[in-house]
Amino acid sequence: MNASVRSNKGLTIVDVQGHIDLGTSPALRKTMLESLKNVDCLAANLADVKYIDSSGIASLLEVLKEAKRKGKKFVLFGLTAGVREVLQLTRLTGVFEIHATEDDVLNSVTGA
Amino acid sequence: MEVLIKFVVPSHPRYLRLVRAGVGELAAFHELAPEECRAVMLAVDEALANVIRHAYRSDYERPIEVNCRALPDRLEFALFDQGEAPDPSRLAPHPLDDVALSGRGTHIIRSIMDEVAYEQLPGGNQLRLTKLLPPRKGAKS
Repeated sequence: MNASVRSNKGLTIVDVQGHIDLGTSPALRKTMLESLKNVDCLAANLADVKYIDSSGIASLLEVLKEAKRKGKKFVLFGLTAGVREVLQLTRLTGVFEIHATEDDVLNSVTGA
Repeated sequence: MEVLIKFVVPSHPRYLRLVRAGVGELAAFHELAPEECRAVMLAVDEALANVIRHAYRSDYERPIEVNCRALPDRLEFALFDQGEAPDPSRLAPHPLDDVALSGRGTHIIRSIMDEVAYEQLPGGNQLRLTKLLPPRKGAKS
Protein backbone atom coordinates (compact mmCIF):
# COMPACT_ATOMS: atom_id res chain seq x y z
CA MET A 1 0.00 0.00 0.00
CA ASN A 2 1.21 3.47 -0.81
CA ALA A 3 -0.50 6.73 0.14
CA SER A 4 0.80 10.06 -1.17
CA VAL A 5 -0.62 13.54 -0.67
CA ARG A 6 -0.94 16.24 -3.33
CA SER A 7 -2.93 19.39 -4.04
CA ASN A 8 -5.08 20.26 -7.07
CA LYS A 9 -6.72 23.71 -7.29
CA GLY A 10 -6.69 24.03 -3.54
CA LEU A 11 -8.11 20.56 -2.90
CA THR A 12 -5.90 18.17 -0.90
CA ILE A 13 -5.98 14.65 -2.26
CA VAL A 14 -4.58 11.39 -0.85
CA ASP A 15 -3.77 9.00 -3.70
CA VAL A 16 -4.02 5.45 -2.38
CA GLN A 17 -2.50 2.50 -4.23
CA GLY A 18 -2.35 -1.23 -3.61
CA HIS A 19 -3.81 -3.43 -0.90
CA ILE A 20 -5.46 -2.00 2.24
CA ASP A 21 -5.69 -4.70 4.90
CA LEU A 22 -4.98 -5.37 8.55
CA GLY A 23 -1.27 -4.77 7.98
CA THR A 24 -1.46 -1.58 5.94
CA SER A 25 -4.59 0.24 7.15
CA PRO A 26 -2.87 1.82 10.23
CA ALA A 27 -0.40 3.66 7.96
CA LEU A 28 -3.21 4.85 5.70
CA ARG A 29 -5.24 6.05 8.68
CA LYS A 30 -2.23 7.97 10.01
CA THR A 31 -1.53 9.64 6.64
CA MET A 32 -5.14 10.71 6.19
CA LEU A 33 -5.63 11.97 9.77
CA GLU A 34 -2.37 13.98 9.50
CA SER A 35 -3.48 15.46 6.17
CA LEU A 36 -6.89 16.33 7.55
CA LYS A 37 -5.36 18.50 10.28
CA ASN A 38 -4.27 21.16 7.80
CA VAL A 39 -7.27 21.39 5.48
CA ASP A 40 -11.03 21.97 5.45
CA CYS A 41 -11.65 19.23 2.89
CA LEU A 42 -9.75 16.03 2.19
CA ALA A 43 -10.39 13.72 -0.78
CA ALA A 44 -9.25 10.09 -1.00
CA ASN A 45 -8.50 8.83 -4.50
CA LEU A 46 -9.21 5.08 -4.42
CA ALA A 47 -8.88 4.42 -8.16
CA ASP A 48 -5.72 2.34 -7.72
CA VAL A 49 -6.85 0.36 -4.67
CA LYS A 50 -6.54 -3.32 -5.55
CA TYR A 51 -8.06 -4.64 -2.33
CA ILE A 52 -9.70 -3.33 0.83
CA ASP A 53 -10.94 -5.19 3.91
CA SER A 54 -13.04 -4.15 6.89
CA SER A 55 -10.02 -2.66 8.69
CA GLY A 56 -9.48 -0.38 5.68
CA ILE A 57 -13.15 0.59 5.69
CA ALA A 58 -12.88 1.27 9.45
CA SER A 59 -9.93 3.58 8.75
CA LEU A 60 -11.95 5.55 6.19
CA LEU A 61 -14.81 5.73 8.68
CA GLU A 62 -12.50 7.01 11.40
CA VAL A 63 -11.27 9.82 9.14
CA LEU A 64 -14.87 10.68 8.25
CA LYS A 65 -15.80 10.86 11.94
CA GLU A 66 -12.82 13.08 12.71
CA ALA A 67 -13.71 15.35 9.79
CA LYS A 68 -17.30 15.69 10.97
CA ARG A 69 -16.14 16.33 14.53
CA LYS A 70 -14.00 19.23 13.29
CA GLY A 71 -16.63 20.55 10.86
CA LYS A 72 -14.58 19.46 7.84
CA LYS A 73 -15.30 17.35 4.75
CA PHE A 74 -13.91 13.95 3.76
CA VAL A 75 -14.90 12.59 0.37
CA LEU A 76 -14.04 9.52 -1.68
CA PHE A 77 -13.66 9.20 -5.45
CA GLY A 78 -12.54 6.71 -8.09
CA LEU A 79 -13.99 3.68 -6.34
CA THR A 80 -13.14 0.37 -7.99
CA ALA A 81 -15.72 -2.42 -8.12
CA GLY A 82 -13.94 -4.17 -5.23
CA VAL A 83 -14.05 -1.12 -2.95
CA ARG A 84 -17.69 -0.47 -3.81
CA GLU A 85 -18.60 -4.09 -3.04
CA VAL A 86 -17.02 -3.94 0.43
CA LEU A 87 -18.78 -0.65 1.20
CA GLN A 88 -22.07 -2.27 0.15
CA LEU A 89 -21.39 -5.38 2.26
CA THR A 90 -20.74 -3.18 5.30
CA ARG A 91 -23.75 -1.00 4.41
CA LEU A 92 -21.68 2.15 4.44
CA THR A 93 -22.19 3.36 0.87
CA GLY A 94 -24.64 6.01 2.04
CA VAL A 95 -22.44 7.17 4.91
CA PHE A 96 -19.65 8.54 2.71
CA GLU A 97 -19.80 11.34 0.15
CA ILE A 98 -18.70 9.51 -3.00
CA HIS A 99 -17.81 11.03 -6.37
CA ALA A 100 -16.89 9.35 -9.64
CA THR A 101 -13.88 11.45 -10.60
CA GLU A 102 -11.47 14.07 -9.28
CA ASP A 103 -13.15 16.68 -11.49
CA ASP A 104 -16.50 15.84 -9.90
CA VAL A 105 -14.99 16.44 -6.45
CA LEU A 106 -13.51 19.77 -7.58
CA ASN A 107 -16.85 20.85 -9.05
CA SER A 108 -18.66 19.86 -5.88
CA VAL A 109 -16.26 21.17 -3.28
CA THR A 110 -14.54 24.15 -4.84
CA GLY A 111 -16.99 24.99 -7.61
CA ALA A 112 -14.07 24.87 -10.08
CA MET B 1 -11.33 -35.40 -7.87
CA GLU B 2 -10.97 -32.80 -5.18
CA VAL B 3 -8.26 -30.16 -5.10
CA LEU B 4 -6.55 -29.27 -1.82
CA ILE B 5 -4.29 -26.29 -1.21
CA LYS B 6 -2.75 -25.96 2.23
CA PHE B 7 -1.16 -22.84 3.71
CA VAL B 8 0.72 -22.81 7.00
CA VAL B 9 1.73 -19.21 7.66
CA PRO B 10 2.82 -17.08 10.62
CA SER B 11 0.11 -14.88 12.11
CA HIS B 12 1.68 -11.74 10.63
CA PRO B 13 -0.54 -9.52 8.46
CA ARG B 14 2.07 -9.55 5.69
CA TYR B 15 1.02 -13.13 4.88
CA LEU B 16 -2.62 -12.18 4.34
CA ARG B 17 -1.89 -11.14 0.78
CA LEU B 18 -0.29 -14.49 0.03
CA VAL B 19 -3.32 -16.47 1.21
CA ARG B 20 -5.70 -14.07 -0.56
CA ALA B 21 -3.89 -14.71 -3.84
CA GLY B 22 -4.27 -18.47 -3.47
CA VAL B 23 -7.92 -18.27 -2.45
CA GLY B 24 -8.75 -15.87 -5.29
CA GLU B 25 -7.06 -18.10 -7.87
CA LEU B 26 -8.81 -21.19 -6.54
CA ALA B 27 -12.19 -19.46 -6.81
CA ALA B 28 -11.43 -18.19 -10.33
CA PHE B 29 -10.24 -21.63 -11.38
CA HIS B 30 -13.65 -22.99 -10.36
CA GLU B 31 -15.38 -20.46 -12.58
CA LEU B 32 -16.82 -18.15 -9.98
CA ALA B 33 -17.58 -14.69 -11.36
CA PRO B 34 -14.96 -12.00 -10.62
CA GLU B 35 -17.14 -10.34 -7.95
CA GLU B 36 -17.69 -13.73 -6.29
CA CYS B 37 -13.95 -14.44 -6.34
CA ARG B 38 -13.34 -11.09 -4.64
CA ALA B 39 -16.04 -11.87 -2.08
CA VAL B 40 -14.67 -15.33 -1.21
CA MET B 41 -11.17 -13.87 -0.92
CA LEU B 42 -12.49 -11.13 1.38
CA ALA B 43 -14.34 -13.59 3.63
CA VAL B 44 -11.29 -15.81 4.14
CA ASP B 45 -9.13 -12.72 4.69
CA GLU B 46 -11.52 -11.36 7.34
CA ALA B 47 -11.48 -14.73 9.12
CA LEU B 48 -7.66 -14.72 9.12
CA ALA B 49 -7.61 -11.14 10.42
CA ASN B 50 -9.92 -12.21 13.26
CA VAL B 51 -7.50 -15.00 14.17
CA ILE B 52 -4.57 -12.56 14.25
CA ARG B 53 -6.42 -9.88 16.24
CA HIS B 54 -8.52 -11.97 18.60
CA ALA B 55 -7.23 -15.56 18.92
CA TYR B 56 -3.58 -14.50 18.92
CA ARG B 57 -4.08 -10.92 20.24
CA SER B 58 -1.75 -9.57 17.53
CA ASP B 59 1.11 -11.92 18.38
CA TYR B 60 2.58 -12.17 14.88
CA GLU B 61 4.65 -15.34 15.36
CA ARG B 62 1.99 -18.00 15.87
CA PRO B 63 0.94 -20.55 13.24
CA ILE B 64 -2.23 -20.40 11.18
CA GLU B 65 -3.22 -23.30 8.98
CA VAL B 66 -5.60 -22.78 6.07
CA ASN B 67 -6.88 -25.80 4.14
CA CYS B 68 -8.63 -24.83 0.92
CA ARG B 69 -10.65 -27.68 -0.63
CA ALA B 70 -12.41 -27.56 -3.93
CA LEU B 71 -15.16 -30.15 -4.33
CA PRO B 72 -17.52 -30.48 -7.30
CA ASP B 73 -20.28 -28.54 -5.56
CA ARG B 74 -18.43 -26.27 -3.12
CA LEU B 75 -15.30 -24.56 -1.92
CA GLU B 76 -14.33 -25.20 1.70
CA PHE B 77 -11.84 -23.20 3.75
CA ALA B 78 -10.84 -24.60 7.14
CA LEU B 79 -8.78 -22.26 9.33
CA PHE B 80 -7.00 -23.71 12.33
CA ASP B 81 -5.25 -21.70 15.05
CA GLN B 82 -3.84 -22.46 18.49
CA GLY B 83 -5.03 -19.24 20.14
CA GLU B 84 -7.81 -18.27 22.51
CA ALA B 85 -11.30 -19.51 21.81
CA PRO B 86 -13.49 -16.80 20.27
CA ASP B 87 -16.11 -14.95 22.26
CA PRO B 88 -19.40 -16.64 21.25
CA SER B 89 -21.12 -13.24 21.01
CA ARG B 90 -18.62 -12.19 18.34
CA LEU B 91 -19.39 -15.25 16.19
CA ALA B 92 -23.15 -14.80 16.37
CA PRO B 93 -24.94 -12.76 13.70
CA HIS B 94 -25.68 -9.24 14.87
CA PRO B 95 -27.01 -6.08 13.26
CA LEU B 96 -24.43 -3.64 11.97
CA ASP B 97 -23.90 -0.44 13.88
CA ASP B 98 -23.50 2.52 11.51
CA VAL B 99 -20.94 4.21 13.69
CA ALA B 100 -18.92 1.26 15.03
CA LEU B 101 -15.34 1.16 13.80
CA SER B 102 -14.91 -2.58 14.29
CA GLY B 103 -16.99 -5.76 14.20
CA ARG B 104 -17.75 -5.74 10.50
CA GLY B 105 -15.54 -8.72 9.65
CA THR B 106 -17.90 -11.36 11.04
CA HIS B 107 -20.84 -9.72 9.27
CA ILE B 108 -18.90 -9.82 5.99
CA ILE B 109 -18.01 -13.50 6.41
CA ARG B 110 -21.64 -14.48 7.12
CA SER B 111 -22.92 -12.37 4.22
CA ILE B 112 -20.63 -14.04 1.70
CA MET B 113 -20.33 -17.65 2.81
CA ASP B 114 -23.13 -20.22 2.64
CA GLU B 115 -22.00 -22.03 5.79
CA VAL B 116 -19.91 -20.83 8.73
CA ALA B 117 -19.08 -23.39 11.42
CA TYR B 118 -16.83 -22.98 14.44
CA GLU B 119 -15.43 -25.95 16.30
CA GLN B 120 -13.11 -26.18 19.28
CA LEU B 121 -10.59 -28.94 18.63
CA PRO B 122 -7.87 -30.38 20.86
CA GLY B 123 -5.16 -27.71 20.82
CA GLY B 124 -7.03 -25.01 19.03
CA ASN B 125 -9.91 -23.55 17.08
CA GLN B 126 -11.24 -24.42 13.67
CA LEU B 127 -13.44 -22.20 11.54
CA ARG B 128 -14.90 -23.83 8.45
CA LEU B 129 -16.24 -21.58 5.69
CA THR B 130 -18.20 -23.08 2.79
CA LYS B 131 -19.16 -21.47 -0.49
CA LEU B 132 -21.49 -23.48 -2.69
CA LEU B 133 -20.61 -23.51 -6.37
CA PRO B 134 -23.25 -22.95 -9.05
CA PRO B 135 -24.13 -26.13 -10.99
CA ARG B 136 -21.90 -26.57 -14.01
CA LYS B 137 -23.48 -26.50 -17.44
CA GLY B 138 -24.14 -30.00 -18.65
CA ALA B 139 -23.56 -31.54 -15.22
CA LYS B 140 -25.98 -34.23 -14.07
CA SER B 141 -28.17 -33.06 -11.21
